[in-house]
Amino acid sequence: MRAVYDEATIVEQLHHPDSARDAFSRVIEHYSSQLYWHIRRLVIDHDDANDVLQNTFIKAWSSIDNFRGDAQLMTWLYKIATNESLTFLNKKKARLGLSLDEEGTEALVADLESDRWFNGDELQVRLQQAIATLPEKQRIVFNMRYYDEMKYEAMSEILGTSVGALKASYHHAVKKIEAFFEQDD
Amino acid sequence: MIHEQSQILSKAGKEPGFTVPEGYFEGLTSTIMSRLPEVEITDVEAKPTWWMRVRPYVYLAAMFAGVWCMMTLFNHLNSPMTNLQRVAEIAGGISDEHNADEFVLSSGVDAYDIMTYEDSVYGYMIDSIAGN
Repeated sequence: MRAVYDEATIVEQLHHPDSARDAFSRVIEHYSSQLYWHIRRLVIDHDDANDVLQNTFIKAWSSIDNFRGDAQLMTWLYKIATNESLTFLNKKKARLGLSLDEEGTEALVADLESDRWFNGDELQVRLQQAIATLPEKQRIVFNMRYYDEMKYEAMSEILGTSVGALKASYHHAVKKIEAFFEQDD
Repeated sequence: MIHEQSQILSKAGKEPGFTVPEGYFEGLTSTIMSRLPEVEITDVEAKPTWWMRVRPYVYLAAMFAGVWCMMTLFNHLNSPMTNLQRVAEIAGGISDEHNADEFVLSSGVDAYDIMTYEDSVYGYMIDSIAGN
């Protein structure tokens, strides 16, 4: 049976050549689900989310020597995951000849109902379409706040934005989503 | 919270409707672990921190600053007396006529110093009379 996950111990083990690999497998085990859903809500497609998640951990492992434990592991991993997701999305949009802004993202959720790894109802499809119309930053903030229920202070560390600005972003996002539904009705 | 006031979000709930293949998360750790490259990890105890790297330079700078302070203080203590201090010293030494010769011999004052002293005293007296 494995010991209880203790972040301070794990971080210490990550900096010793003998224990680093095992400690990192504990990190993957602990954070993979949380990070997967964060990535999935940004990139929409399961296979894409799986690729981005794996790349996130590979990137984190490759630069583990630079992680000094000044920030929490979660903050550090979320930062990498968010950057990887956005880079991936831009590459995908460029590959498909889509616009790099919100229009491109809207196109990515257009066929959501036919996705075999989506079983949401009509309202959930429309909500995803509404979220796709948001500017990139608002979309990330909305997802992290609404679905992950993350505190603004934690989001502020991950995104490098003030708490006030994040609250404003979330507020605008909700208003735009409501407007999207009103326009549709 | 804002979304609690939003009827649409309340209706939609917190489940976005995304699913994953069965058992996806179970095999995930080993899949990712098998893809990890070999990386060189520096033992945290052997890796010098920023402070450890700059510490010798800080100590060296502090040492030079200390030496400079000591030299400045030493110079200040050994600086020649001001003219006023010299005059006051001579005035004190020759004021007692019994010890005046001994003072002149032991303190190293010469005739020029005494003349300067006398000039200062006369100057003071003239200024005083003129002032009256």
